[in-house]
This record gives sequence, structure tokens and C-alpha cells, in this order.
Amino acid sequence: MKLVDVRFHAPRGLEEALALLEGLKDARVMAGGTDLLVDIKQGLREVRDIVSLHRIAELKGIEDEGDRLRIGALVTVRELASNAAVAKHIPALADAARSMASEQIRSIATIGGNISSAVPSADLPPPLIAADAGVELESSRSARRMSLLEFFTGPRETVCLATELLRSVVIPLPPPNTGISYFRFTLREASALAVASVACRITLKSGVVDRATVVLGAVAPTPILANKASRSLLGKNPSAELFREAASHAKEEAKPISDIRGCVWHRKELVHVLTQRALAEALERALGKAEVAE
Amino acid sequence: MSPVEIPRDFHRLIVLKVNGESYPLAVRDGDTLLDVLRDKLRLTGTKKGCDLGACGACTVLLDGEPRNSCLILAAACEGKEITTIEGIGKDGGLHPVQRAFVNHGAIQCGFCTSGMVMSAVALVERNPDPTAAEIREALSGNLCRCTGYGRIVEAVKNWKRYESADQPPEHRGDLKKHDVVGRSVPRVDAVEKVTGRAKYAADLYLQNLLHGKILHSPIPHGVIKKIDTSAAEALPGVKLVLTGKDVPDITYGVSPARYDEHVLAKEKVRHVGDEVAAVFAVDEVTAERALDLIDVEYEELPAVFDPVEATKEGAPVIHEKSKNNINTVVDHHFGDVDKGFAEADLVWEEEFVGNHVYQSPIEPHASIAHWEDDGHTLVLYSSTQVPHYVHYMVARVLDIPLGRIRVMRPPVGGGFGVKAATTPLDLLTALASQKLGRPVKMVYTRKEMYLYGRGRHKQHMRFRIGLTKEGRITAVQSRIFLDGGAYTSFGVITAYYAGSMIPTLYYIPNYRYEGFRVMTNKPACGAMRGHGAPQPRFAFECLLNMMADELGIDPVEIRLLNAIDANTRTRNELDVRSCEFKATLTEVARETRWKEKYGKLPPGHGIGIGCGGFVSGAGYAIYRGQVQRSSEKTPHPFVKRAVFPHANAIVKVSEDGTAVVLLILAAEIGQGSSTVLSQLCAEALGVSLKRVRIRTEDSDICPLDLGAYSSRTTLMGGNAVVRAAKDVLKKLLGSVSELWGCSPEALEVKDEQIVEKGGEGRAMAWAEAARKYFNDNGPLVGTGWYKPPEGLGGDYKGAAVGTSPAFSFGSSVCECSVDLETGKVRIERFTDYHDCGTPVNPQAVHGQVEGAVVMGAGETIMEEVVYDEKGNILNPDLHHYLIMTMKDAPEIMSGVVDSYEPEGPYGAKEVGEGATLPVLAAVAHAIANATGVWVKELPITPERILKAMRATEG
Ligand SMILES: Cc1cc2nc3c(=O)[nH]c(=O)nc-3n(C[C@H](O)[C@H](O)[C@H](O)COP(=O)(O)OP(=O)(O)OC[C@H]3O[C@@H](n4cnc5c(N)ncnc54)[C@H](O)[C@@H]3O)c2cc1C
Ligand code: FES
Ligand code: FES
Repeated sequence: MKLVDVRFHAPRGLEEALALLEGLKDARVMAGGTDLLVDIKQGLREVRDIVSLHRIAELKGIEDEGDRLRIGALVTVRELASNAAVAKHIPALADAARSMASEQIRSIATIGGNISSAVPSADLPPPLIAADAGVELESSRSARRMSLLEFFTGPRETVCLATELLRSVVIPLPPPNTGISYFRFTLREASALAVASVACRITLKSGVVDRATVVLGAVAPTPILANKASRSLLGKNPSAELFREAASHAKEEAKPISDIRGCVWHRKELVHVLTQRALAEALERALGKAEVAE
Repeated sequence: MSPVEIPRDFHRLIVLKVNGESYPLAVRDGDTLLDVLRDKLRLTGTKKGCDLGACGACTVLLDGEPRNSCLILAAACEGKEITTIEGIGKDGGLHPVQRAFVNHGAIQCGFCTSGMVMSAVALVERNPDPTAAEIREALSGNLCRCTGYGRIVEAVKNWKRYESADQPPEHRGDLKKHDVVGRSVPRVDAVEKVTGRAKYAADLYLQNLLHGKILHSPIPHGVIKKIDTSAAEALPGVKLVLTGKDVPDITYGVSPARYDEHVLAKEKVRHVGDEVAAVFAVDEVTAERALDLIDVEYEELPAVFDPVEATKEGAPVIHEKSKNNINTVVDHHFGDVDKGFAEADLVWEEEFVGNHVYQSPIEPHASIAHWEDDGHTLVLYSSTQVPHYVHYMVARVLDIPLGRIRVMRPPVGGGFGVKAATTPLDLLTALASQKLGRPVKMVYTRKEMYLYGRGRHKQHMRFRIGLTKEGRITAVQSRIFLDGGAYTSFGVITAYYAGSMIPTLYYIPNYRYEGFRVMTNKPACGAMRGHGAPQPRFAFECLLNMMADELGIDPVEIRLLNAIDANTRTRNELDVRSCEFKATLTEVARETRWKEKYGKLPPGHGIGIGCGGFVSGAGYAIYRGQVQRSSEKTPHPFVKRAVFPHANAIVKVSEDGTAVVLLILAAEIGQGSSTVLSQLCAEALGVSLKRVRIRTEDSDICPLDLGAYSSRTTLMGGNAVVRAAKDVLKKLLGSVSELWGCSPEALEVKDEQIVEKGGEGRAMAWAEAARKYFNDNGPLVGTGWYKPPEGLGGDYKGAAVGTSPAFSFGSSVCECSVDLETGKVRIERFTDYHDCGTPVNPQAVHGQVEGAVVMGAGETIMEEVVYDEKGNILNPDLHHYLIMTMKDAPEIMSGVVDSYEPEGPYGAKEVGEGATLPVLAAVAHAIANATGVWVKELPITPERILKAMRATEG
């Protein structure tokens, strides 16, 4: 199948889209198309029907629902980078969005597509996982929700069925004294995929780490939690030394492969460095976020 | 055979609103906006550079936002306002951003320009006063391979200065000596390019056009057992399928001693991507579908990918002719290196490994052919740097006289060497259009460009230098294996250049170079900017820096001590006339405050130096003998002189005397040759540049010029142009002197007037004089030509490579920072001083340097074509093959030193390639200076830096 052979569908609403997915075999949904069209053009994916989501209003918009942010699957990376609510509550997500791709790609690439592609180096999942994000999936028959971490099953593999759509991403607003950060390493300054990436979250209570999450990207088949690293921080006073120790755990927990962007050794070294930097930044943000307490 | 399943296209009618107009269109569901804009609306200002969202050349505005039109389906664009480059001008004029691009020198080949302008327009619409950082961010999705980006940033920053009347920048370093030469005038083709009106080869759509596609070998080495094309032929819309048996049994290539390519593989395939068959059909899609229906049976042979392995006993043999896969051996020995090393106080030997990099012009190769005059004359449009060599090679393969071929070279979107050879596209379109009686067009995809290859040879180098304790060079020895890929192409020449350019900077009393070009099962390597020389230059300069440190001599001082002077015969017998190498060193050291910085920067910050230089035009043509079909002539023994003029020009004055048309086949590929040649012409004629129009595209009209390689155009083309202009002037002054009854010597040209010398005398307008000339004598035409001087270079085998009428020199200083924890390098600043003789257009000179710096810096730290163990390229696209973006590019300060080349027009020589040579070593040195470790393998990636640092930590 070549791109010119596909059949294009542009449903006007969610229901119509879901009905189409139910009825078509070998169909693929398309949001921005920046992954899908590249894959089809390169012959990496056999697709007969493209169901474009671009007209579906239900999938657009970022909403502040009081205790959480709901981000529609069609929200573009550029919107994430410039949205006030995102900047206020999850600046790490804005950081990740800004760091991605190029201006042109960011203005069309979507959060739903970035997640659903499940490319190990994707930039949005690590900070989202660090922020405890969940995803809502919907088909014409059912709806389900799960944590983003559970959504991924392998490189370019997710639990999302062919008849399902990722509808929105839901992020609980971080509690007070919480900081989230995202660091990535790339081989050039723009339009480059991550060689390794780390998102960290720290919640402080009376000066000690009450909750910590270390998420690693591009160093395993899916984004992964560095559990040992996270645990090593709990109940401790944050310090550079503590972070270094946690980073050493993260380095052990990373399961990278060697490819054109980097070898196992370098990727592990990067995890070690990025984890320390990300923890330091998360701490700074956590300390700065005390006043957000309501 | 199973019945052919005919794929069904899903078509729909849509209405697209483009540049304010509504167009009802029938499109396929899967058509991208880019293809519809180009193929259906013929809005070809929007370019296809990669088709995968990675280059930005296709950028259009969708409801005001910049988008890659290659990644949007047209069907999804209904109801949106689409704006293309053709739609941003106001009232028939240019958008201020466009005017800024024209005036700030932000355009070279122009292929990235439309996309760049669109991104810039989108930016200034929402942020009218962007900072440099904001510009670099907003435009970082637009790759440019030519400019080095700095002038684009300047243009966007200054766009408001063009909102009403233009306020162009002051040009640093313009000369006041002449009227037109030495002035930073905008390019003569700038407006065509900034408006998207310039038609590159792929932008041409002839009537009744057919499209061709190539079937590439999926295996690295094998024998073709059987090809079944019947299913492909049966596909409706397919007009012709060609395989090896249908193409002439005549080999082609570049180096005349080693023509080893067939248009399509005859028996064997030698690399993944080798051309096996070609399909010609009503459209590209049909041709592509047909490719899938061709059934090829291969007997796979063992393959070899490493040049050292390839030379070992028992390695797979790629060409029967090349024993042990060794394609060329060079052994040059001047003086006595053993004696030289014995005299040295310090002798160091190091191994260096280069990288296989790819030129990556943003424009993919394209060719279109058709036959005129009832099939008598082939007309071939090609995106080539060397129309004449294409002409010669097509005549060879088709075995027809050159006189039956007309080569057209539309504007070329960058070359850097990858368009310096005849391509399968040139030959296949010529053959197929002859068989079909219809025009045929072929365009490479980005991936096919990599499969075709011709990138830089990866060189495995061992260098040895001997120095006295004062730092004087006593001997230099190198042994280099060049990984050539599966065919010779330029390779023999490359192997010679790898040795011949080393002794052109420093006095080297004893010099030995052994070179081995080895064949491997990968796409052939070819000539890339600096041809063969950059990697050895990198190795040599790095080793010199290491040894200078060891001896406690400043790297600048050690260079000044050894640098050659003007009028030197180098150890390998090259004649250098003008040479201000030392001045480039002292200038670059002064400008960067080298002495205050070297060895005094904190860890993680480094400064480094590298030098280099290059020929200003190869002294000999690539083929031997006369301009003649190769089958007609007995192989010409090598003669130590140019057989025919390498550059030729005609200057023709319009009958009303108000315009001058300059005809020369010189290939404008972005480097600015058309502008520079026009300036030289205007200067020599004494008219303003506005009166000169240059035509370079048509071999029927323009006299032969060998093309854009070996940095030859300014010097050689320039000399021919000046001579032709002087020929015109002589005729003109002669006729005026007759009229006035004085001697022609008593006349001169001033401000477009013919006047009597000494002022106060009679005067006649230039145009009036030209009109009168026509009345009495018919056409006012002058001709000029340039042949490199006789007797260039030595008499030894291979002496021809490296000979040149003139040589350029340059010194670069790189300042960088390195993240010592991750190994990441940030190239902060580059300072380059170049001896290019008289800068005919300083802005163009700086543009060449800046482009070379960014290309060279990227080559040093991030570029490399990577293969898997089966010979497949793992990064054949612009998203994974990394070239620097606007955010990576350093700040660049480019300067020229006072210099005058007696052999050049108005004292000019080259800058295009020479500027690449100092860069690699300067970067490597700066990194070593920042980290304390030398990485001797390119590219110097973060991973390698970190590993080297860990290794020294123990
Ligand atoms: C030049 C270039 C640079 C890039 N750089 C980066 C980078 O730096 N970092 C990075 O992370 N990515 C990068 N990408 C990848 C890509 O742009 C992002 O992953 C983007 O977010 C994908 O979003 P999209 O809307 O374009 O997805 P699409 O291509 O539309 O879809 C991607 C996949 O997700 C599925 N999908 C999309 N939406 C849904 C949904 N709502 N429900 C279920 N399935 C869905 C599609 O079927 C498809 O399989 C780059 C891509 C390009 C071309
Ligand atoms: S052609 Fe669209 S980004 Fe390169
Ligand atoms: S001018 Fe930018 S690619 Fe040539």
C-alpha cells in the first residue's frame, strides 16, 4: 500500500469516527499525521483507510477542571508549549513540548499522536507519567481509562485497540511542594529525537522527599519507571549526593539498546547525568511551588 | 503468473483556497498538499526536499501557521487559507522579508529559500521584533545547506528596514578600487529565487511528460539470475521497462582510466541501491507500483564493507579488474622521509579515521530529457554542477556526437560535489525518451540520493610528522586507505588529492604519501567540497597541534614558522603564486585574541585552530584529449598542457546598445558564480551591473565551461569573461576612434561614457557608441577563453591532480564549549580569515565561508552515513542524517586578507572549497582544548568524547 492508495475519511464528530473505526478493516486514525504519514511513506505501515480526526471538536482543547487538567487528544504540541494552565501546573510538559521537533511539526503534531505512536524516544510521555497522567480511551461500545504507564506495551505498541480512540489525557494537578522536570539529550539542537530522556517528580513534606518518581525515556522499549531510584529518595533530605545515588540506580535500571543515536554505554551515562539534573530542577520547582498550596 | 491486481485510486473533488483564489480540484485521497500544489496547480515555488517533514523546503502557511506541506493531505485542507511563496508579495512587489533576504545575502542556491521565507513571514506576523534566538527557534525546522544561516537571521532581524524604502546594510570590507568588482551587490538571481519563480529541474513540466523510477538492488552483492518484468509491463499506464540488457554495453564514470558503471546493472549488483531496472509510466505513482511487480532473482554473493578487510586475501572481489579490491594505489615520495625523520627532534605518529559524510544539498537530483528535430537532437535538463561533463558522458553512452546533444542546466539547489558526475537519471531519461518519443522526467527521492551516494570518502589515515625542537617540519609521511564504495567515480582523483594538498601550506622538505583507494559493497563515493583533502588536512593539523603542545610552542607560532610564502614551488612541485597564508594566521589570531585564550580557558571551554587551502581550478580537464565523442578518438596520451580552453565566454551587446548579454556555460549552483561573472563583465566593459544579463543554462547558446568543481569558476570563467568583454571594448573603442579620428589608445570608458583620456575632451554614451557600432559593423560581440597556463606541476605520475593556476589559503579559529558530563559540544564562535585574492563580491565570499564553516563543523561533530551489517543505510533521510540546523550554527566572523592573484581576473581566486579545509581541525582542536582529550575519529560525537575522557581518567 502506498500513501496514494489510501482512502481518506474525515468524520465530523466522535461518534461518527468511532463508527467508522468499527466498520473498517486496516484503518488507522490520524491526528497531525506527522508520524503516520512518515511511516506510510517509508513503507513501515500498511494502511488502507485513514480516519482523520481533524474535524472532531470533542478532542480539542485544554480544560482546567479544578483538580486536574484535561487535555484533548488533538491538542497540538505548540498549544502545550504555550498554554497558560500547562505552564502553571506542569511546566515540565511545556518544556518537553518546546524541545520537540520543529516549529512546523509542533504546530500540527498532537499529544494524542505522540502518545499513541508509542515511539520509545517520544518526549511527552515521560513528563506526563511523572505527573501521574491517565488516558481515556473510547470505542463505540465502551470507554476505559488507565494510567499512561499501563498504556504502553512495547515499542510502537499500546493497549489501544484498532476500534478505539485516545480521547483525552488527564493530569491531576500536582499537590503543593511538588516539582516536575524533564531533561532530554539530543545530538543536535532542533528536529532531533531524544537519545535519552528523564522526567522527575519530587514532592516535599517538611523538607524531606515524600514522593518521588523517576521516569526514563528512550532507554527501554517503553518509558519506564526507575523504581529503585525513586525509592532511594523517599524520606530523605534532598542533596546532590542523594541525587547522585538515585541517578546511579536509574542508570542500572535503564535498559537501552544501541542504535544510530547512541550505544548502551553512552545512554546509561546520559541517564546518570540527566537524572541528577532533572532531580535538581524538580527540587527547585518543588521549593518554588510551596505557595501554590490551596 | 498471478493476475495483476490493479490498485484503485480513491479520488475526490475538493476546493482549495490558495493565495486567495479558490481552485476546484480532483485529487487522490492520499495526495499531499505539496504534490497538489506542485503537480496540479504548478505552484512550484514550494519545494520538495525530503518529503518527510525534515527539511522545511515545503513550508506553506495554513491559516497563517507554517506547515510542512509534504505531511498534510490535500483532502484535509478544504476550508483553510493556504498561502504559498507565490502569494506573499504585495501589489506585484516583494514582501519586506523577501527584500531583506535579497539584500542581506540570505540566499545562495535558493532551494530552501521559499520555505525559509514562509517560516519567517509567519514569525514576523505574530512577533514583529523577534530576537536572534527567537528567529533561530522559529526557523530551525528549515534546513539550509548553503548559507550557514547567519545572514538569514540577519535578514529576518532587519525585515522592517524594507517595509517602505529599502535600507540595505553597510557592507564590511567592500573595495573602492573598482566600480563593480569588490562590491557586495545582491545576487543577480536573488529575486527569482526569493519569489519562488526560479525553475529548478524538478519544477519543469513538459507536455506529454512521462515519469521514470528506478528499481534498486536490495542486496549488497550478487549476480542477477533472472528478471521478469512482464507484470510491470502489463500494468496500465506503464510505457517502458528497461533492464541491463536494454542499455548500451558501454561503461561510464568519471575518471577516464576507470569507467566501470553501466546505466543499469548488466550482470552483477555491487551495493544496496545499485540500479537494476527502470520503469517509465504516465505518472510517478504508476511507475512506483510497477517497480513492485518486477521479479528479480539474485544469487547473493558474500559482501565486504570495510576497506581494510576488502584488501585481504580471500575477500569477495567486487570488480574483476581490481585485484584485492584495490582501485588505485598512489606512492608519492619527495625528498627522503627517512632522512627527514632522522633529523627531527620529535617524531609522532597517529592514526585518524574520517567519516563518510553526504553532501546533502536540499535539492534532490532531477533530469528531464526529450528529443528535438525529429529525434535528431537530445535535449537534457539536468540538475548538475558540470553540464559539460554530463554532455560528454551522455554522448559516450549513447554514442552520438556532442553536437547532437543540448544540455540545459536550470538553477541548481546546491551540489557540493554530489552533482559533479553524470547520474543514472541523466542517462535513463535520455535513453527512455529516445525509445518512447516523449519527454521523460526522473527525480530522486531523498533516500535514493543516499543510495546513489558519491559522498565523501571515509579515510583511514596514519600520519607521521617530524619536527625540530624549534618546531620546523623535517618530514611528513602519510598512509591512507580510502573507502571508495562499489564504483570508481571520482575516486582516483580523490586518492591523489588526499596527498597533493598537504604540502601546499607549509614547507615540507621531505614528504611521502601512500594512498589506497579500496572498493567495498557500498554506494560509490565521489567528490565533496574540498575533494579528498579535508580529512588528511584534519589529521595533519591535529597532529601538528598535538606536537606543538608537546614542544611548548604556540600553535599559531608553529604555523607561522612553517608557512609558505608567495611564489613558492611546493615539495610536490605545485607552483604557488599569490599567498597570504601568514596574514590569515596573524589576522585570525588577532581577531580572536588567541594569545589571551589558548591554554587559559576554564575546563569545558576550548579554542582551536586549523588551516587549509585549495586549488583555484584544476589545471587539467577530467577527460583527456579534445572535445569529441569518446569512441571516435584514440586514447590521448597525457600531455602537460590543457588541450582546449576550460572556460569560454561570449559577450553580446544588444542592438540598441543598452544591454549586455553574457553567455557562458558556467554552472551557477548557489555559489554565486553568475553574480561574480556578471560583475567582472560589467567592470571590464565599464558599464553598470544592471546592464548585464547572464545566460548560463543552455549549451546551445553558451560556450563551454567545465563547470562548478575544483573551485574553478571565478578564476577560469572570470578570465574568459574579462577577455570577452575586453574584446567588445576593443571593437567599440576602435569604432569610436575612427569616428573621432583619434587613436583608440586615447579613449577610455568612464561612467558609461566613452571619453577622451584626460577629461575635457569629447564624450559619447556607451549605448550610443554600441548602436553606432551595430549600424556600421553588425553585431557587437566579443569572445574570450581561458586555458590554464602550460607546464603546471611536476612530471611524476599523478602530478596533474593538485595543479592549479592559483591556490587559496585560510585559517580558522573555533571556540566551543563542551558539557563534560554528557560530551555534548556547542560550537560557539568561528573566526575565519581567507586569502581569496581580490574578493569580487565580499558578501558572496563571506557567504561561502559561512556555509563552509557550518557544513564543516557539522561534518566534524555530527554527520555520518551509517550502514548495517547488510550494507543498508540506516539514516537515509534528513531527520536521522544530521546536518546542522539554525540552532546549531555558530556565530561566524569571516574576513579576507589583502591579496592579489596575478593569474586571476582583477586578482581574484577561489573561496568555495578552501573554506572547508581549516574547519575540521579547528573544531577538533577546540574540543581537545576544552576536554583535555583528542578524539581522532570523526565525527567527534558526545559518545566518543566521553569515552576518551573516561579512558584518560583510567
Ligand atoms: C521532523 C520530525 C521531527 C520530530 N521530532 C520529534 C521529537 O523531537 N520528539 C517527539 O517525541 N516526536 C517527534 N516527532 C514525531 C511526531 O511528530 C510526534 O510523535 C507527534 O506528536 C505525533 O503526533 P501526530 O498528531 O502527528 O500523530 P499522527 O501521525 O497523526 O499519529 C501517530 C500515531 O498515533 C495514532 N493516533 C493518533 N491520534 C490518536 C488518537 N487520538 N487515538 C488513537 N490513536 C491515535 C495514529 O494512528 C498513528 O499510529 C517528529 C516527527 C517529525 C516528522
Ligand atoms: S519536503 Fe517537506 S519537510 Fe522536506
Ligand atoms: S540557499 Fe539554503 S539550501 Fe541553498
